[in-house]
Amino acid sequence: MSTDTVTRPVGRYAYDEVDRTFVSQRVAQFREQVGRRVAGDLTEDEFKPLRLMNGLYLQLHAYMLRVAVPYGMMGSDQMRELAHIARTYDRDYGHFTTRQNIQFNWIRLEDTPDILERLAGVNMHAIQTSGNCIRNVTCDEFAGAAADELLDPRIHAEILRQWSTLHPEFSFLPRKFKIAISGSPHDRVAARFHDIGLVAHPGPDGRPVFDVFVGGGLGRTPIIGVKLRDNLPEEDLLAYLEAVVRVYNAYGRRDNMYKARIKILVQALGVEQFREKVDAEFAQMNRADYRLEPAIVEGIRARFGIPDLDAPADAAQKLEADRKADARFDRWVRTNTHTHRHEGFISAVVSIKPDGGIPGDVTADQMDLIADLADAFSFGEIRVTHMQNVVLGHVRKDRLRDLWLRLDGAGLGTPNIGLVGDIIACPGLDYCALANARSIPIAQKLSARFANPELQENIGNLRINISGCINACGHHHAGHIGILGVDKRGEEFFQLTLGGSAENDVAIGQIIGPALPEDETVDAIARLIDTYLVLRHEGEAFIETYRRLGAASFKDAVYAPA
Amino acid sequence: MDVRNNRRDMTGASVITANRLLDGRIVWLAPQGWSEAISQARVFDNAAVEDAIKQAKAAADARTVVGIYGVQLDPDATQITPLTVRERIRAFGPSVHPDFAPVETPHVH
Ligand code: HEM
Ligand code: SF4
Repeated sequence: MSTDTVTRPVGRYAYDEVDRTFVSQRVAQFREQVGRRVAGDLTEDEFKPLRLMNGLYLQLHAYMLRVAVPYGMMGSDQMRELAHIARTYDRDYGHFTTRQNIQFNWIRLEDTPDILERLAGVNMHAIQTSGNCIRNVTCDEFAGAAADELLDPRIHAEILRQWSTLHPEFSFLPRKFKIAISGSPHDRVAARFHDIGLVAHPGPDGRPVFDVFVGGGLGRTPIIGVKLRDNLPEEDLLAYLEAVVRVYNAYGRRDNMYKARIKILVQALGVEQFREKVDAEFAQMNRADYRLEPAIVEGIRARFGIPDLDAPADAAQKLEADRKADARFDRWVRTNTHTHRHEGFISAVVSIKPDGGIPGDVTADQMDLIADLADAFSFGEIRVTHMQNVVLGHVRKDRLRDLWLRLDGAGLGTPNIGLVGDIIACPGLDYCALANARSIPIAQKLSARFANPELQENIGNLRINISGCINACGHHHAGHIGILGVDKRGEEFFQLTLGGSAENDVAIGQIIGPALPEDETVDAIARLIDTYLVLRHEGEAFIETYRRLGAASFKDAVYAPA
Repeated sequence: MDVRNNRRDMTGASVITANRLLDGRIVWLAPQGWSEAISQARVFDNAAVEDAIKQAKAAADARTVVGIYGVQLDPDATQITPLTVRERIRAFGPSVHPDFAPVETPHVH
């Protein structure tokens, strides 16, 4: 590979000196602020917003540091640094989140400036991972690799990152603001559950255009985003989004935190009136200042390293032969890979959900291994998915089995992507200060119970999402089966919702009935799945059977007498 | 601090907790300062705990601990054990990582 891959990391944007200087200055500033807090010159009330601006929360057991992974893309060098931080400053692990970031749960305030300095050394930081600002822009985990992709969304995700980072008007929005972007007709980013969801595709002249969804979200008031605009030309992308955020900034409620998200404003005004306000703002803006000229876009694109996709002509045949020879490998290929745009390559999903394990938790050694495997098999490039897994985007088909053998040997070869074991779970009451109930033990019990890979494959596509409270960080409303932890006088209960989806068939799950005690929840879900197996038609996924029959058919199973 | 965590019955007993500023670790008010072990905590009658919390807040150096509040105890437990699951997890560590438990104390369930 040529030397310019050093300066242009594959799949990522090469930061320049200005970016690096800024991040270093922020670290120095935070070091000074921590010093003043420890010396007693800043009160906790004064200090708290400063630490949150640097991604440092005080959680249940310790400080938690949330590190941004821009649109989920990172390099092996960055993963190794995360491993080092986990090993040196935490308890040997980190937690990948549904917003494609990583969280460390056992951080000390006094170590944080050093950690941030180390992160800065690999162009990482924790800026805008908290607070009422525009958060990490999330993106398709198969970006730039998927066969079904129309455009690589990372270029525009990077443009949005630059636009939204430290934007002076948008540092104090009424509430946090989340943007997701996809370049595929298959929604893998939950576009309609974001404050703004963008779906990019080529326009008539070949330049990108964007369908803009607004006002989606989960939390205590789940709402499916509405389409604000079709075919927004690329040159107007920043002006139009700026107009949307300005309208939100001007009219969004600041008096009530629970009504402060843009989704509430869009509902209150109605989409027509909201659109009128955005159009009025857009019309009076000096669009020339914001115009995204093709030359600018191409300049950004040029700073992304491109993988040299060169595979032997018989790569696909070799993979077919490997699959025939090894049934376990064949199963993993069926469940854990995604079709690549190049016929000699394939994208591999590393499940971070071992049977009975903690969804999204990776040890420092596993991080190092993933980094090594990324170097050996995928141009040093790693993606974090919104399902809390990891993707190696460009693996040569004839080398896939070698990759799998190494993953499998390290306990990272679980064949469960999209199946019962691929559970999304927030940290819940084991770690989170806002939680009502524990999410992780439910996930562990379910994944252990359904560990058998034949059983999982027989059950088929099923999304189980668990949140430890109504904030919905585990996307429970978007799960085919959603599980929400509630607190009844200090004891844990779980409410089930059915029929949600974050994909093209987007839907909000409906509550099936009263919440269940902790020790009955897993059994109830097992009965629910058994009922589906009895009722399904040939080839029907859980969600389809549920939609055909409705909740009534499943209710008896959930509330069957013990 | 969230009032939800600071609620208690008229009767019963409570302990006082906070997080240490420097490392964020959970601590309990003991006869001699703040301890990482809930087993060391000083137990207050609920009738007296409000005053004790006020005193602890006034006495505590804001550079030592943050977020002081009271935690109701389980009257039926033999050792000092919080009543709610949340506070049991704070006292005894994440239930999913017994190896991270702060001290010798019993498991959360
Ligand atoms: C442990 C510290 C965390 C805190 C304090 C926290 C806090 C919150 C709060 C308050 C909300 C509701 C926002 C609203 O409705 O306006 C929320 C939503 C959300 N959080 Fe978290 N969260 C935490 C961890 C996580 C983790 C680990 C993930 C990823 C697994 C995550 C992803 C999300 C997502 C996807 C939503 C819902 C989407 C939306 O914003 O509507 N959060 N979080
Ligand atoms: S859903 Fe609730 S319990 Fe889970 S991480 Fe979010 S705030 Fe914490």
